[in-house]
Amino acid sequence: MQTSGTSEPIVRIRDLKKNSVNFVLQNVDLAFANSFRRVMIADIPTVAIDMVEIETNTTVLPDEFIAHRLGMIPLVSTACDEAMRYTRDCTCEVRCQYCAIELHLNIACHEAGRTMDVTSNMLDVVPTSKPGAYGNFEQDDGGEELAKRVENFGHPVGKGDPDVPPILICKIRKGQELKVRCIAKKGLAKEHAKWSPCAAVSFEYDPHNKLRHTSYWYEYDARAEWPLSENAKEEEPPRDDLPFDYNAKPNKFYMEVETDGSLGAQEVVQKGLQELQTKLANLIVGLKPEPPEADVFQGGGGGALGGQPNGHEPAQTGGWGAPSPATSWSPTRAGGGGGGGWSPTRAGGAPTGAGGWGSPGTGGGWGAPAGGAGGSTAGSWGSPSSGQGWGSPSQQQNGWNVG
Amino acid sequence: MNAPNRYELYVLEEGERPVEVTEDTKIPNAATIKIVKQDHTLANLLRSQLLGMPNVLFAGYKVPHPLHPYFLLKIQTDGSVTPAAVLEKACTDLITTLATLESKFKREFTMNTVEGGVQEDAYGVPTSGAQWESGGTYVDLG
Repeated sequence: MQTSGTSEPIVRIRDLKKNSVNFVLQNVDLAFANSFRRVMIADIPTVAIDMVEIETNTTVLPDEFIAHRLGMIPLVSTACDEAMRYTRDCTCEVRCQYCAIELHLNIACHEAGRTMDVTSNMLDVVPTSKPGAYGNFEQDDGGEELAKRVENFGHPVGKGDPDVPPILICKIRKGQELKVRCIAKKGLAKEHAKWSPCAAVSFEYDPHNKLRHTSYWYEYDARAEWPLSENAKEEEPPRDDLPFDYNAKPNKFYMEVETDGSLGAQEVVQKGLQELQTKLANLIVGLKPEPPEADVFQGGGGGALGGQPNGHEPAQTGGWGAPSPATSWSPTRAGGGGGGGWSPTRAGGAPTGAGGWGSPGTGGGWGAPAGGAGGSTAGSWGSPSSGQGWGSPSQQQNGWNVG
Repeated sequence: MNAPNRYELYVLEEGERPVEVTEDTKIPNAATIKIVKQDHTLANLLRSQLLGMPNVLFAGYKVPHPLHPYFLLKIQTDGSVTPAAVLEKACTDLITTLATLESKFKREFTMNTVEGGVQEDAYGVPTSGAQWESGGTYVDLG
């Protein structure tokens, strides 16, 4: 258990690349390391295509299929928290250059006998057009966001870099055409996983399984059948004659954060730590009796402009000039929906599912006061009969962690 | 159709209080703290930090329903401090730890700068030249 103040966290970076960092984190507890992991996966904003207007699609793939694929393409999102606004917080009516990035894709194949690849490199960022009328924005509320953007902000990752393979969207033959207009928005992976900056985050502790947090299935001999991970070299193998230390706590965590390229690995780690601090700071503010304008500190930055249309509402789509009859909007995150207007279906597309966000170590019910002195029924609230609910007061001290 | 906006999972509504402290009527020095628009990330972190504090007798949390974006944190102290005060202490301690970790990361990052010389592809293999120009090395199953 991390006792406050006695030991500082230690970090050692083993390998650093542009889009991945491998490090060892020491002197923190399991919950801390896990929260750090979770925050990097789900709480860092990025930019991703959120709405797709399909003007022509004569490819073999249906509109929704292509819209979904477009949504998953990572876009350069460097310093996204300052360089872009959430549409729900923006002062504009539907969207503007501060809260939306427009990308066009217009490709047709005229070559006979050859299959052509439509890739992310063919997506071009264009100035965000004003919905409803022609031309760009007259109003400029003097936001500083644009000045904070890097040159290729919102571009597909790897565009213009010959060393990065482009992402295949679709393949077309002669006579087939794909013409789409995409609106990219800032968002959080809690809403849809396409906004996660992380491709993979590996997390390991106790490679020798000294703590017995897992048990190995085996046929004859677990040791022979389960190869040790590379991280096992960092720790002493346990001696066979050593009794099991049931009070031991994990202390050393091996993590590798790999990003999809929308943000650098370094930025993800640093933003993750900042986001955790913001969450805690907001909690402190919320605990004060009557916080003056507490929502100013809100991580999501919401609240202040709550009445603004968020651009997802079908009712707000009056714009877009006069769409041709063939035009249909497909939300990039939906599985269903049809042509001819908006398909508001949002279910189905989310890889994370309704069950929510992979629970941490002690998921489900009450977090167990792990290894505490008193808790024979740790994990429940001291009610000896079951792990559910609050346990009646008369029984409650049975299970309390009195340590 | 009538699904709530997904961002309602993590954005406070207008005028919504982020924290609500309810003193326990039957257990001494105990309180249930409802924290809205937060999930396991914060809850489990606080729970484990609270359990490491000497004047905390009990700390636990639950997310009553996975579709309801809040959690309940139950704290009982030994009476020397109130549960709300001990929670605030836990938060400041964690912020301190995180700030330390952040500065340590910063130092590590400056020591391990990304080498600019070798270009690597997505699999960490050094590459050179434009091999992805047209069609590249995709396996064309068509």
